[in-house]
Formats: sequence, C-alpha cells, structure tokens
Amino acid sequence: MAESHAIEGSKLTRQFGGFFALKGVDLAVKRGEIRGLIGPNGAGKSTLIDVLSGRAEHRSGTVRMFGTDISAMTAQQRRHAGLARSFQRTNIFPDLTVIDQLDIASRAAEMPNIDEIMAELNLTALAFRRAANISYGDQRRLDLALALIGRPKILLLDEPAAGLSIGESLELAHILKDLAARWGVTVLLVEHDMEVVFSICDRITVLHLGAILAEGTPDQIRGVPEVVTAYLGSSV
Amino acid sequence: MTGIVTTDPIVSRAPPPRHALALASAIGAIACGALLAATIQSSLMMTLVTQAIITAILATGVGFLIRQNGVVSFGHAAFYGIACYTIALALKLGVMRVEFAILLALALPTALAFLLGLVIIRIPGVAFSMLTLAVGQAFYEFAMKARHVTGGEDGFSVSLPPAILGIPTAWFQNPHSMFVVSWSVLVLIIFGLALIAASPFGRLTVAIRENEERARFIGYRTTLPRVLVLTLSAFVTAIAGVLFTLYNTFVSPDVLHWTLSGSALIMAIIGGPRLIWGPALGAIIFFFTKDIAGDVTEHWQGIIGVILIVVMLVIPSGLGGTLAALWQRRFGHG
Repeated sequence: MAESHAIEGSKLTRQFGGFFALKGVDLAVKRGEIRGLIGPNGAGKSTLIDVLSGRAEHRSGTVRMFGTDISAMTAQQRRHAGLARSFQRTNIFPDLTVIDQLDIASRAAEMPNIDEIMAELNLTALAFRRAANISYGDQRRLDLALALIGRPKILLLDEPAAGLSIGESLELAHILKDLAARWGVTVLLVEHDMEVVFSICDRITVLHLGAILAEGTPDQIRGVPEVVTAYLGSSV
Repeated sequence: MTGIVTTDPIVSRAPPPRHALALASAIGAIACGALLAATIQSSLMMTLVTQAIITAILATGVGFLIRQNGVVSFGHAAFYGIACYTIALALKLGVMRVEFAILLALALPTALAFLLGLVIIRIPGVAFSMLTLAVGQAFYEFAMKARHVTGGEDGFSVSLPPAILGIPTAWFQNPHSMFVVSWSVLVLIIFGLALIAASPFGRLTVAIRENEERARFIGYRTTLPRVLVLTLSAFVTAIAGVLFTLYNTFVSPDVLHWTLSGSALIMAIIGGPRLIWGPALGAIIFFFTKDIAGDVTEHWQGIIGVILIVVMLVIPSGLGGTLAALWQRRFGHG
C-alpha cells in the first residue's frame, strides 16, 4: 500500500479569466518534510498555498491530507484537521495584545501551548504589548506563532521572512527547522530568500508559470540549468 | 513528541480584569445618580437629563456594535421603536399584562436582530449600513401606513396600569425617580458590556473585527459571534425603547425613524465608540448642546454638526477616547 503523504495536491488547476495560475499541478509532501516552493513572481506559489489551505477554490483536482480528501473542507475545518498557514503580508490582530491573540488562537485549537510558543519565538517579553506597537520582525514572528498554536500537523508558510533583515531571516529559519524536527510537523515553505530555502529545506519544488519546472533536493535543484538560468542565477 | 508545555507558565494569562474595581465603580455611580436626583430640584432639568440617559442607552447599543463588529447601523431605531410599539400595542389590545409586554418588547427586537444578522452580517461596510437603513425605514413606513393599528403619523397614548411589578407607575413618569431608574440601568448595562468585552468572546469579536480572514484561519467560524454582537446591541437598544415608553407613555413613528439611529450614531462618534461608556457620554453632550443651542437658535443641528466635524478631524477617538488617553498618561492605566 502506498504511503499517504502529509499534504498532496493532484492535478490542481486555478484560472483567472483566461490566465491559468495553476496548470494541473501535482505536489506531494512527505510527513515531517520541509519542502521549499520557489519560483519567480507570478509562478503560482501563493496561489498553490491558497488552494491547499482552502483560501482559494480550484477549478479541478483534489487536495488530500494524510490520504483524506479535504477539497470540500472550509479553511476553518482544515485548521481543525491540523493544517495551519501564515500569510505573505503580515496577518495579525493589530488592536489586541500579543498574548490575547495567542489565547484566542489556543481556544480554537483547544491546546493551551501559548507559553511554549512565545518562548520558542522570543515573544514572551512582548506578551502584553499591542501587536500594532511591536516591530515588523516581531509581527512576522507573531504571525508565525498564530499558525503554530495547537501544534499543527502541516504548516504552509507564505514568505515568512519577507521584509526581515538577513539576521532575522536566518534566525527564523533555524527556529523553523528546529520546531519541524522536534514536533514532526510537515512544512511547505514559499520563500524568496534562497539562503533560507536552501539551508532548511529537505526538498525543493520550482514553479514556473503555474507548472512544476523541477523538483528535488537542494543539491539537485542547484544542478538544473533551467532553474539556474530562469530563477536562481548565481544566488546559491 | 506529543507533550504539551502547560506547567510553570512563563506568562500564564493576561492580568485579570479588575472586576471588583469595576463593580465598586458601578455601585458608586448608581449611588451618585441617586444623590444627583435628590440634589437637583428642577423637574425641567431632570426631564432633560432623564431623556438624555434613555437615549444614552440607545447610543450605547449602537456604539457596542461599532466597537465589537466595526460596522455602523442606521437601523437601530427599528429595534428601539419595535420595543416601544410592542408595549403600546399589547396594552392597547389588552392581550397581556404589562410585565409580559415588557418581556416581549425586549424579546422581539432581539430575536429580529438575530435573524436579520444571520442574513446581513456578512455584508461589509457601507452596504451593511444601507441594509440596516432600509430595514429600519420599512418598519417606519409600516407604522405610518397601518393607521388602524398604530395610529399612523399621530401615534397614540399608552395606557399603563397603576403598578408595574408592584412599583407604582407614577414612579416611571416622575423625572426624578425615572432618572434614578434609567441611570441605574445604564450603569448596569455599561458594566455588563464591559465584562462581555473583556471576556474571551469579547476579545474574539474584536479579533474578527480586526482581521476576519485570520480569525477563520486560526479555526473560528466568524459569522455567529458577529450576529451575537448585533443581537446584544439590539437588546440594549430595546431596553432604551422600554424605558422611553414607560416614561413618555406615547408612541409615534418618530421612534422608528432613521434620524433617531443617525442621532445615536452621532452621539457614539462624539463620545468615542471604542469605549463602552463613550457613546453615553456623547449622548449627554448631545442633549445639553441641543438644549443650550436650541435656546439661541433654531438651527441647533448646525452646531451639533460643527462639533461632529471637529471631533472627527481633531480627536477621532472621541471625547471619551481623549479623556481616557489623558487618564492613561496621568495615571498609567486605563
């Protein structure tokens, strides 16, 4: 019997008018794997994350989570099933304190691991600050913390390091790598910072114009001429 | 690894809300109200203040919807007016005791708000406001047209029995005693709403107001909490309608007109809708400005308009918000 993947998209197609953002994409991520999803702007990375998380509908294809078809589930139902995500733009609750919004998230997840998450993401000292009043880097970590509350089984991260300094990006990458290993969480990571992607991902999928251009380990991806020419250049 | 860190919390929870302090403040405020009623001899002044307090309850309902859901209603007069007409018609038709009529007057607008909310709460911004306006005006038009039932534009007097719940009805028509009743109800409503706002439910609705999509992605259904806020807001508004009817013993379609909703909205903005007590402050300012300016000019609405513009441009958090900020700056807590 074939091993069921943590998250699997089959023949996923999403269309905006005459433009195909996803053209029958097949993606399967193994349990506990950190998968990088890279490609130029407009490749369909965020669209794929949106379809997998239930934010966007797909025209055809199926989404499976541990072998179960979740295509018809709402975003809220997928979250309860263990699928969490963060967003490309910081997506928090600005008017609430850090601890209040984590408390709200933990009540939905029915798992009170607020202190654990704040400690992991260095948010403890900011617990009683309004989210609107903390730095951008702290807001990005809070965004990630909201996704991590309840220890999801699968984490879809849409550019978590966007706007962070090099040091902050690498720190975030190490936190992610460490948490994924300790919690056994499966991560699908969309990121433009190639240093982050190539340092923590087990495998990388390259999207181009809504289709998969290449897939493999970081070393294999470095060796694909089309990827190097079209996207990576000399960055890795 | 499945163990969850729950022992020895670094930060166990937010500081506990100062419930005891709030309760003591509420009791103190009620006592001050009674003292004020005993001090002011002028019935004219007490009439004005009592009407201001009843309208402050209406504004508190409107403001709570803005605070928790971030939407503006131009139809709250419907909930207020339905409460008024329910008591008036129940007593006119003689179908039930006044106590039951009061309960029905609270239940009907609340139930209507819940059912209406299930349909319209997902509609954002201006469209939501326009829908509430349309619904409110539909009830107004009905009251105008159904003359055989409502008395049309002329309205009709409400015949109250000599006592309500064993309390002489005259108490509810005396401005001094009615002020104490209305003020006490307002204080208890503000206290109750403050508790709700500080509860997990209150924080969740603020989270949904701030970022509904994110609330869904952390696992919440976002419709029902917003509907419940609208329902609660309508319930508070219905209480104001009941008090108005007991005090004035007269109803007309004016209690359903959108201008009443608009005035309540202006009060909320002037006082500061982000504070539970802000709209009530706005209502008191509104009434006294209207009274003072009305003695000088018949165009008192223009003066209210200027105040509204100044508040929106200079202190968008409202007078209450400004006072709260000054308090926080001075004493370090809100």
